[in-house]
Amino acid sequence: MGFLSPWFLVGLFGVGVPVFIHLLRKHVTIPHPVSSLMFFERGIQSSTRHRRLRYLLLFTLRLLLVTLIVLAFANPFLRRPVNANQILLVIALDSSFSMRAENRFAEAKRQALQLLSSKPRSRRAQIVSLGGHIQLLTEATADPNQLRAALDGITSGDGHANFSDLARSIRTLSESRSEPIEIHLFSDMQRTAMPGNFTEVALPAPVNLILHDISKKRAVANWAIESVSAPRDVTDPKDPAQSKVKAVVAGFATTETEKTISLIVSGKQVAARTIKVPPNGRTVVEFAPHELNYGFNRCEIQIEQNDPLPEDNVARFVIRRVDPQRVLFIHNASDQRSPTYFGTALNAATHGAFILQPMVAEQATNIDPARFAFTVLSDATALPTIFEHALEQYVMNGGSVLISLGLDAERQSHIPLWQGSLQRPHNFGVSNAATIGQVDFTFPALEQNHPSRDNGGWGTTKVIYAASVEASGARVAAKLNDGTPLLLEKQIGEGHVLLFTSGLDNFTNDLPLSPVFVVFVDKTARYLSGNEHVQGSQVVDSFVQLRSSTEGLKENPKKANAVEVLDPDGHRPLSLSDARSSQTFRLARTGFYQIHFANGREAVIGVNPDPKESDLTPISPEMQSLWMAGNKDQRKVAEHVTADKKYRTLSLWWYAMLLAFVVAVAERILSSRHLETQREAI
Amino acid sequence: MQRFLSPEVLASISSLDLVAKTVVDGFIAGMHRSPDFGFSQEFAEYRAYTQGEDLRHVDWNLFARTERCYLKRYKGETNSQLMILLDASNSMQYSSRRTSKADYARYLAASLFYLAIGNQRDAAGLIVFDEEVRNYIQPSTRQGQLVRLLAALDTAEPRAQTNFSKPLTHFHSMSRRRGIAIVISDFYERPETIAHSFESLRFKGNDVVLFHVLDPQEIKPELKHPAILVDMESGQKIEVTPEYVNTTYRTKIQDHITELRTRAQAAGLEYQLIHTDQPLDSVLHEYLSLRKANL
Repeated sequence: MGFLSPWFLVGLFGVGVPVFIHLLRKHVTIPHPVSSLMFFERGIQSSTRHRRLRYLLLFTLRLLLVTLIVLAFANPFLRRPVNANQILLVIALDSSFSMRAENRFAEAKRQALQLLSSKPRSRRAQIVSLGGHIQLLTEATADPNQLRAALDGITSGDGHANFSDLARSIRTLSESRSEPIEIHLFSDMQRTAMPGNFTEVALPAPVNLILHDISKKRAVANWAIESVSAPRDVTDPKDPAQSKVKAVVAGFATTETEKTISLIVSGKQVAARTIKVPPNGRTVVEFAPHELNYGFNRCEIQIEQNDPLPEDNVARFVIRRVDPQRVLFIHNASDQRSPTYFGTALNAATHGAFILQPMVAEQATNIDPARFAFTVLSDATALPTIFEHALEQYVMNGGSVLISLGLDAERQSHIPLWQGSLQRPHNFGVSNAATIGQVDFTFPALEQNHPSRDNGGWGTTKVIYAASVEASGARVAAKLNDGTPLLLEKQIGEGHVLLFTSGLDNFTNDLPLSPVFVVFVDKTARYLSGNEHVQGSQVVDSFVQLRSSTEGLKENPKKANAVEVLDPDGHRPLSLSDARSSQTFRLARTGFYQIHFANGREAVIGVNPDPKESDLTPISPEMQSLWMAGNKDQRKVAEHVTADKKYRTLSLWWYAMLLAFVVAVAERILSSRHLETQREAI
Repeated sequence: MQRFLSPEVLASISSLDLVAKTVVDGFIAGMHRSPDFGFSQEFAEYRAYTQGEDLRHVDWNLFARTERCYLKRYKGETNSQLMILLDASNSMQYSSRRTSKADYARYLAASLFYLAIGNQRDAAGLIVFDEEVRNYIQPSTRQGQLVRLLAALDTAEPRAQTNFSKPLTHFHSMSRRRGIAIVISDFYERPETIAHSFESLRFKGNDVVLFHVLDPQEIKPELKHPAILVDMESGQKIEVTPEYVNTTYRTKIQDHITELRTRAQAAGLEYQLIHTDQPLDSVLHEYLSLRKANL
């Protein structure tokens, strides 16, 4: 028996209180005077002794009460020996993409089943699948049939294993269970599955990790298409600048080898290259497919020769051949600069994928914005009512609009589509021009993976005029250095409204003269046209956004537009209810997915395995030993604090408190009687 | 309306004089001023006046008819003298109510003095005793005797133990005339000792009356739990049980009372048991009725 909070035992000095009351402070019995004892006889009856005994019993109860309360605070525990049957057995089977190499998965499953068979019948176990995400396939159970069925049901997947995810799940499992855990991991122990920070795979003390390395601790030579860079949309396939396809062929634990790389478009090989891949190196191979059909072209880049993991010799991607998309650009009649700047940047960035169609606001009455990829309202706050209404419907149904507020916007308090009036504008003047202080580089229109030190190029931009607008309910993507929002976004229905509070000409800011403007226009065009979200090539276990928001779907699901997803086998993985309510979809397998989004857009996505899975180099034996030993070291340290793995801790706190309560009630009853006898009178 | 005065009412009256007057006057009024009550109420004879005698007793009607002075004498005046022996030991201090036995005894004595002196003009004296004779007032009919007696009663606070032999010895040595001796005590002594002690007074021609004053709780005590009892006179402590007190003790005290009554009657002593919760005028009425019946 031990105590988790032994310092509370100091409270045992409290037993001195009842000792003082009962023993040191003698009980005073008030004698009753009588005229004469002539007719009385001494009678120390048993009842008198009983009263004394009752005092002693009361004293004992009080001592016990103080002791129990102190013990309860000290949190006593018992260490009970734990036999093997009381240790939870967790069998984790790696089902990641790399387990397809050779016969690793079959071997791992065989070993796992063997372990399950050797398990004592009464011992409880739990099956965990380690693929793209961790799956606890069973509850802790001793039922061998259920466990075997769960283990048999695991198939090799296309996901990327991550040992830190496994460790996190085991830590969570350990916190929710009182018994020790013994986890057996059957895996090829890929080096790429191990996180950079070793502490992420640390397991708590009551977990005993046993690794079963299927790779036999040896690296296997493997080649793979590591990445493909291909345009999402092509308007002119014969333009090499547009249709250029780059693939990176990587070799892992390989020697210098020649490989034949071929490009297959819609099942037909259109080009092939023979390249020399350096040992453990990479080679870039380029293709320029000239023949592309209109619509989605399912493309593959293949390595002809097989290797231990042939599944990663193919990289899938999709190129869509489209006519150039038109962009409606509404501007003031007096403003000729903004369409020029915007159109030039758009053409330069997208290689003709978008064609700008400028139009004066007054002429937009009968224009249907749905026929355009997106709409730009450049300093055009006074729109014909019919067009403004059409624009609202367009946004509600998934259209997107970019609004910029130039000098003319100052005359109007109303901003189309933006619920919120125009507030006081900021006119900084040329000499006191504001700069852009904060930029959210995670915002799609501003996205930069590694922004430069000058705020990603935005820091040098000077803003002379910016409107102040109501920012409630909007995402602020960029702010001026005085805090004025510069770029805001609102979700309206299925569409987006992007509000740039300055102009697109060089009167209100010098952004159009800056190189970052081209990038901004490019990303904004892709974002607003809906092409940003859906790349032609994705990695397994990445998510696709099916609809903008699920708000209001629960209240009125019939109004929701259904999405449709066809997996690589042509099956529909979403149920009817999911098709009306799901916001995202996980691309769980390699192959081509065909998706019909809630806003009516279509996409075909080529899904490839995580390139990290192609590196079959296992964790070094030293690292494996360190992982297991580190866990054991933790247990040894914990042994001094809690218990050895052969023992399990049984807290007695509840028992002590329950007993203290019972004793307190008994003491109360007895002391009440005691006081009553003191009040009695002859 | 309550006919008799409860001891609690009397206890609220601080002056013994007033207590006695209240008891006796009310008691007499309640008896329609009957001339038959008193210690010496019967006319006996006329006696020739000699110089120095109290002129108040001269029968002036007879003097007017005969021109001779004769004193009118009553029967009581020839043999009545009231002596009260008041037990002032510690046991008399016991009280389960507002009125202790000592207080009750003093009210009783005061009432008897008032009746004897104020109404009957008898000589009255007092011996206050415990284990010693603490106060002695010789019987007299002198002016202010009642005041002296009441003052002696006022100062008769209970203390010490009881010893009947010393007051008796004192009484024997000081007594010259026969009369009525009233002993007021709780009589925590063996009945034969008590009877033996007081029958000598009887032999000398005195009427001896024993007023046995007891608290109701002494006769029928109630004890729910074992308790420690302490003797008020000796200070001795013993533990007793409710079973004993509720059964054996009650039997013993009843036996004691019965035996005392029997032995007192056998010795020619009058015995009267008084509870301190009894109205005092009721007790006096009962006693004097019995006394009249015995005469």
